Amino acid sequence: MSDWRVPLTDIAVPEQDVRAVLDCLESGWLTMGPRIAAFEQALAEFVGTEHAVTVSSGTAALHLACLAAGLGPGDEVIVPAFTFVASASATRYVGATPVLCDVISPREFVLDPADVARRITPRTKAVIAVHFCGYPAAIAELRALCDEHGLVLIEDCAQAIGATVDESGRSVGTVGELGAFSFFSKKQLCVGEGGMVSCAAAEHAERVRLLRSHALTSSTWDRHRGHDPAYDIVDIGFNYRMDEPRAALGLSRLERLPEALSARRATVRAYREQLAGIEGLELCFDDEAVERSSHFAFPVLVADRERRDRFRDQLKDAGIQTTWYPALHSFTEYGGYAPPDGLPAAAEAAGRHCALPLSSSTTAEEVEIVVETVRAALAD
Amino acid sequence: MASTETFPELPLFDLQLQPQDLEAVAETLRSGWLTLGPRTAEFERVFAEHLGAKHAIAVSSCTAALHLAYLAAGVGPGDEVIVPAFTFAATATAAIYCGADPVFAEIVSREVPSLDPDDVERRITPRTKAVCIVHYAGYAADAERMKEICDRHGIALIEDVAHAPSATLHGRKLGTWGLAGAFSFFSNKVLSVGEGGLLCTDSDEVAAFVRSHRSHCMTSGTWDRHSGRTDTYDVVGLGFNYRLDEPRSALLLSRMGRLEQEIERRRELTLRYRSLLSGVEGIVVPFTDEEVHTSSAYVIPIMLEEDGSQGEVSSRLRDRGIQTSIFYPSIHRFTAYRERYPDVSLPITELASRTELTLPFYPHMTNDDQDRVVTALAEAVRR
Repeated sequence: MSDWRVPLTDIAVPEQDVRAVLDCLESGWLTMGPRIAAFEQALAEFVGTEHAVTVSSGTAALHLACLAAGLGPGDEVIVPAFTFVASASATRYVGATPVLCDVISPREFVLDPADVARRITPRTKAVIAVHFCGYPAAIAELRALCDEHGLVLIEDCAQAIGATVDESGRSVGTVGELGAFSFFSKKQLCVGEGGMVSCAAAEHAERVRLLRSHALTSSTWDRHRGHDPAYDIVDIGFNYRMDEPRAALGLSRLERLPEALSARRATVRAYREQLAGIEGLELCFDDEAVERSSHFAFPVLVADRERRDRFRDQLKDAGIQTTWYPALHSFTEYGGYAPPDGLPAAAEAAGRHCALPLSSSTTAEEVEIVVETVRAALAD
Repeated sequence: MASTETFPELPLFDLQLQPQDLEAVAETLRSGWLTLGPRTAEFERVFAEHLGAKHAIAVSSCTAALHLAYLAAGVGPGDEVIVPAFTFAATATAAIYCGADPVFAEIVSREVPSLDPDDVERRITPRTKAVCIVHYAGYAADAERMKEICDRHGIALIEDVAHAPSATLHGRKLGTWGLAGAFSFFSNKVLSVGEGGLLCTDSDEVAAFVRSHRSHCMTSGTWDRHSGRTDTYDVVGLGFNYRLDEPRSALLLSRMGRLEQEIERRRELTLRYRSLLSGVEGIVVPFTDEEVHTSSAYVIPIMLEEDGSQGEVSSRLRDRGIQTSIFYPSIHRFTAYRERYPDVSLPITELASRTELTLPFYPHMTNDDQDRVVTALAEAVRR
């Protein structure tokens, strides 16, 4: 493995999680059984959504959300330019066109409702709001905008499980018609590869359940339990199923998610306190956003791209692992999707930010090492 | 689970894992590295070596492997892919994902329920981009003739090897005859892991395409970045998340060590089953004893001579605690396919679908269990 002094992320899998997976393997039933059902029920409760449907990845969740929303060829879907590529790819899987949209500012790097409003055309069918790095998008404004124009709102919660959108503690993934979550290995709740769709409408849930397993009218599990062996296939579906061992792992880890998120938030608070006032460094979002975020990553801003690249080299030399997220229109595949007037805030956010080490097991000592290195690097 | 539900005493399949399999998964979980890392790379190396293929690329399912195989073969909107209808729907559905149309071809007979090369050749049009043969139940379809026909017409041969890891034709592993082979590690398969699949190929170009497209066409992976090999990435195409994760690779790697041995056991049991079934009146048993020796002996399919008795026989067996399944209903008869392709008629396939039953089968099945199944079947058919 690596020998980073402070790694970007760290996944601790305690023995109770290992035990849960082994129990499942010992049972010999590995697909679409009781553990998936239990995980889905627990997820629905945690998120506060009517329906939670597990799938094979966050990408699969977005794909099925787009299908359930009825998106198809000829439709336009507004997507922020500062996100992981799956947010845009999912719209293309169904034949729709992603319309890249700017973020509010480099400091507030979530979808800008004013820019969304400008990009709505008669072909626009949906908006994908991304709660990037765990920070909730301006969901109330986006909801109002979607309602005004008759658009579907899909929330990309891949990096934001446990984030809240208002004082009431309402979770991300419950404001849009559909929400897509990821349980990829670096995520706050991780199982390896995995994801989930949240939704309020029974017909959306039914559609997602159907399409995640080849639109079969009965499952292997149903048939195992003595149901009729005959089945029909009523649509063009996919194999987007999660399996039982992953559900067992997710269910076991979900129990500790609240404390894991508290630990992440505490680390971010400590970072912000200690980094405040360092010349040449800008913190993102405000304290209120920090309380609502579920802290997938902790990006900070420096002067410009050149400074950022040098800054990352300086941290790397000190054994501190960092990362950064490119804007979609900087990719070869997505250059053609940028509007002629550009996406200045997204481009600036991508160029200036650097994500510092953050996980639920980041220690106070590690924060101190990072802060001191950052201070020295920017003084250099 | 509701207590009113009845689990079959003799299920269709039954998976038993060994302590070393569990230990391999436990170790991976404890390592904290869960996605596309050293275990997946090692599993791919071992599986490729086992097949004698140049490349093996682990993916999230056989459906994903088929999708990527078709895309790599250049299948796109307006194209046709010739497939059997006597298979799981994914073989055809994956062509639709590419914007192409599946064209259904006939099987040879109920005794040889594999794609008929002559019928395939008749259905080749200027739009045909690929043919996908399915090695049904773990027995080799005529990959050699199919390869010859595909080469002559300049179209790609894809192999759906979901049932047949380690099976051979003329000493050559199935999956290595065509441009690409698609394997399944679904929970009821010979080498099962839960959800999982793999694509094998000898083509460097196909391998590079598949590796790229299984992970969003990103030019570097999380593991590369974690190990400091690279800092950033580009996205150079429309890719997917078709990755397999590390715990599943660890489980597969552990189980791979016993694959040959387990298949050998399956072959012995299959031969015993076949010998018992040869005494049952009113059924057709596909394939030959000789073919068992080179197959992966995945399942035990039988065909009822009496058309129209499938539901009744299956329900009589269910009443005796014996689970059966239909491998497979004809794809073109499903609602979603009837809507899209209304005029397909495949009499041999349809008869096979109407009369097939798959019997309980797993490597630790006892002689008593087999006897019980065959006795019950004989009674159920006779009545």
